[in-house]
Amino acid sequence: MAIALEGSVVDELIAICGPEGVFTGRSALFNRARVPAPFPAHRWEDHIPQAVVLPTSAEQVSEVVKLANRHGIPVVPRAGGTGLTDGAVPLNHGILVDVKLMNRIIEIDHGNRTVTVGPGINMLKLNEELRRHGYFYPDDPASYPCSLVGGRIGTSGWSLIGARYGHTRDLVVSFEIVLPTGEIIRVGDGGGRSTRKSSSGFQLKHLFIGHQGTLGIVTEATLELAPRPEAEFSAFFSFSDYMGAHRLTGDLSRSGVATLGGVVLFDEMKIAYLRRDDEAYIPQDESVRAVVACASYGNADEVRAGAKRLLRIARASDGSYMGDEISQGDWWSRHDRYATPQHGRTRDGQVALMSWHCEDAAIPYTELPAVREKWHAIASDLIQRFDMFDDWGMFAYTNGAHKAWGDYLTEIDIGIWESRWTDESWAAWVDAKREIGRVALEHGGSLTACHGSCRAGEVDLVPVELGGGFEVMKKIKRALDPNNIMNRGKYLLDQAYEEE
Amino acid sequence: MSDTTASERETDGNGRSTLPAEFLERWRDVAYNCFSSGHKFCREVCPVMQVTRDERHTPTAFQANVVAMEKGHLTLEDVADDYVHCTMCGACELRCPNTLFTGDFYRFRQRTIDVVKAMRALAVQNGIHQRNWKRWAELTDRWGNEPVLGWTRETSGARVRAWAAGLDLPTGGETVLFADCEAAFKRPSVPRSVAQLLRACGIEFGLMEQQWCCGGPMWETGYVDIAHRMAEHNMLDWRRTGTRRIICPDPHDYITIVEHYPELDDGFDEFEIVLALDVIAEALRDGRLKLTVPIERTVTYHDPCRLNKRLGVWQAPREILRAVPGLTFVDVDHVTQWSYCSGAGSNLWVEKPEITAQISSRRIAKARELPGVDGLVSACPWSERPLSEQGAAQGMEVFDIFELVAEAAGFEV
Amino acid sequence: MLGFRLSAQTPPPARPVTDGVVSRFEHTYEVDPALMTEHVRQQQIPNWDFRRIVDSRWEHLHWMRDHFADQVIAASELLAELEAEG
Repeated sequence: MAIALEGSVVDELIAICGPEGVFTGRSALFNRARVPAPFPAHRWEDHIPQAVVLPTSAEQVSEVVKLANRHGIPVVPRAGGTGLTDGAVPLNHGILVDVKLMNRIIEIDHGNRTVTVGPGINMLKLNEELRRHGYFYPDDPASYPCSLVGGRIGTSGWSLIGARYGHTRDLVVSFEIVLPTGEIIRVGDGGGRSTRKSSSGFQLKHLFIGHQGTLGIVTEATLELAPRPEAEFSAFFSFSDYMGAHRLTGDLSRSGVATLGGVVLFDEMKIAYLRRDDEAYIPQDESVRAVVACASYGNADEVRAGAKRLLRIARASDGSYMGDEISQGDWWSRHDRYATPQHGRTRDGQVALMSWHCEDAAIPYTELPAVREKWHAIASDLIQRFDMFDDWGMFAYTNGAHKAWGDYLTEIDIGIWESRWTDESWAAWVDAKREIGRVALEHGGSLTACHGSCRAGEVDLVPVELGGGFEVMKKIKRALDPNNIMNRGKYLLDQAYEEE
Repeated sequence: MSDTTASERETDGNGRSTLPAEFLERWRDVAYNCFSSGHKFCREVCPVMQVTRDERHTPTAFQANVVAMEKGHLTLEDVADDYVHCTMCGACELRCPNTLFTGDFYRFRQRTIDVVKAMRALAVQNGIHQRNWKRWAELTDRWGNEPVLGWTRETSGARVRAWAAGLDLPTGGETVLFADCEAAFKRPSVPRSVAQLLRACGIEFGLMEQQWCCGGPMWETGYVDIAHRMAEHNMLDWRRTGTRRIICPDPHDYITIVEHYPELDDGFDEFEIVLALDVIAEALRDGRLKLTVPIERTVTYHDPCRLNKRLGVWQAPREILRAVPGLTFVDVDHVTQWSYCSGAGSNLWVEKPEITAQISSRRIAKARELPGVDGLVSACPWSERPLSEQGAAQGMEVFDIFELVAEAAGFEV
Repeated sequence: MLGFRLSAQTPPPARPVTDGVVSRFEHTYEVDPALMTEHVRQQQIPNWDFRRIVDSRWEHLHWMRDHFADQVIAASELLAELEAEG
């Protein structure tokens, strides 16, 4: 159990955030310890903060951070708490800064097509408001109904329609961030809040995106406004073998169709998983072993012309069009079908409530078939040893921004029956994660396309992946956060201080 | 009051309340179904969360607490106040992919309302009371109906039919109109409108000999023994007067009866429970009811949570509003309204009036965004209390759908 | 749903569809109840609630579509055009 903060520190927090913005009760702490990733519930107390603050302004955040520096207390930023790599999970207790109350739309700049928001706003809620003006903020992760803009920046989020509109880093024009020492700065491409491209100075915007809360707390963000799409197109094609589907995935991705939002390749294990409950897949013929899906957005005339080109390419493949109902319905359910505890099955086929774990490497197109085989072998080994894991299949999803070709967000989803954790199975699981990551690196990929790589089993490979880049990370961390306040313990960055 | 002594409750070494085995047996899997997925799609549709933004009040927290309590991390004392922060609107459990996408397939859906009810009941059992809810329950038990007129104005079974003065309605019979608490005492124009409309439809009906509260708010706030007394009294009253069919203008009554009464009574199948809304919509459809007086206004409709989210009833009220002559109906679709609420549900307003006020204020503000709209029509008397209060402050008149329809049918409301 | 009757809430018998999947109502599928006997048990879900979930799913999906774009261009329509163009 974390040692309670000194009363005087709590009093200082109250002086900054008001009595209604500071919590030290147990339920406030325990309910801000987790994210939806496998969580060692038996070691819950190791992960609770000592105090929670709900600030309402950048100035309050700044003062809290300065206080933390004065007292040497870690600070953990938390937005939606929906990330999958524990960015918002306290590793060393401390003060948790929860930004959910900072959820206002501050300004819509119609002339320059930006919207400025607080970090606690959710994209779906934002788009409900933007729709009245004909705008659309196209950051569309699977967690679209619940993740918050601050967390999207902190984790460098990935969007399901990124091939058309870009990902979070492309959609955030500039933002205000409280540095680990409490200064409030604005970063973007150059100086102007709505400048999209600048060559002035270091490109600091990228530095402060995806740091998992180790370099500061975003307090305001200026976002792109796209025109609300007139039209949507989605099409699913079935294949009897993976390689035929792999070929069509590549062909569609390289088509150059500008309205193309993304192409997805589902493998045989993923189809088997979908057959467990998805009404579209249950009646599909046994011969369906892989599926390719694509989706487009934009002006109706452009979507139509682009879709015809995509369909011409698909007609030349071995695939069969799966019909409008599955093509549309399954696309519309893209946020909802990814994490379902009831889909867990023990070896004898019984339903068990399993957590969804997803490894999300970025893999080059040419390497997908080999990686697929190796990853399933790792999962299979795990399942044979412990009747608490379940292979929920793989998919590969176009990973580029504003273009579909190149590398793929590649996921293997593994169900984990978490109430069965033992030290042995946890260790085996961490080893398996590390093996999965190692395969990704061996094939020229990255440990992660969107979730981040802070957790046990993957974080140890970050220095391997980044090489000299990791040394630079440590230098930056030490320079910006001399007291190691911000999200202490994440990303092996404690090493930056050990070497002093 | 269903208090137990300290020796009867389950406690940890420090005398703080823990979860009994039968509670865990019943709710563990439901809690893990949420804990294991952790989507949190519930957060942004939750009306309380939209106001407080405090993770203690998320539906996810209500489930995670069960897991944490089983592991000994939290006690009932730690969380009892958190569980007050819920209107039981049902948005969370409906929007949850574990309900919406797999609840039917597995015949296992997310049940947050039930967990909140169970936790509140356990708190009451363990002597952990919310001050106003306790007073509310005591007066409900004493008077037979909830103290909706304030702590001192009696809402007794003897006065519950006062709303029907001059309508000359019989007692009992095959069909009764079920009008209790908020509708009967606080907004009598609702049952009066319904009574006149039912007559115009040619439906013969009476009133209960002595109408008591449906018991719903007692189940919702943890006073289960009182709820049982209310339900058993009402069923006895129906049987005494030969009643088979119960027409409910208030969706809270309807959902309480269909969700809670059957488990108390093996013979429940002899009763048919009907929403007044469905009766009126059907009568308009088949021409038994004609609306002839134009209502020249521009209004929008508030989907009451128990109708829309918890029962899936959203078409009938829209059908009715479209049949009102002269009325310009600006609709906001019912799925968007999954995240709307009046803040009235499960007596949140009795215990946390400031949160209810903020929820209803936001709802009125949403109506005000619609071009030309100066009226908000609801179909739930409970919602109309906070909505009317906030509507008065923001220049938005709030009607009950039956009041509007009765006026269009030429009745004095 | 006009009128709640308790006896109308019991689901009809299941017919097998595939290994592990059964069906009781048209166009809806359910897990074979035999798979939910050991680690997690099914709940009693009355027919009205089952219907509510199924209907709400489709209403939600159409809402989500409408949230993202004004209209859908169906691939079947374009494939027919391509067919006609030869």
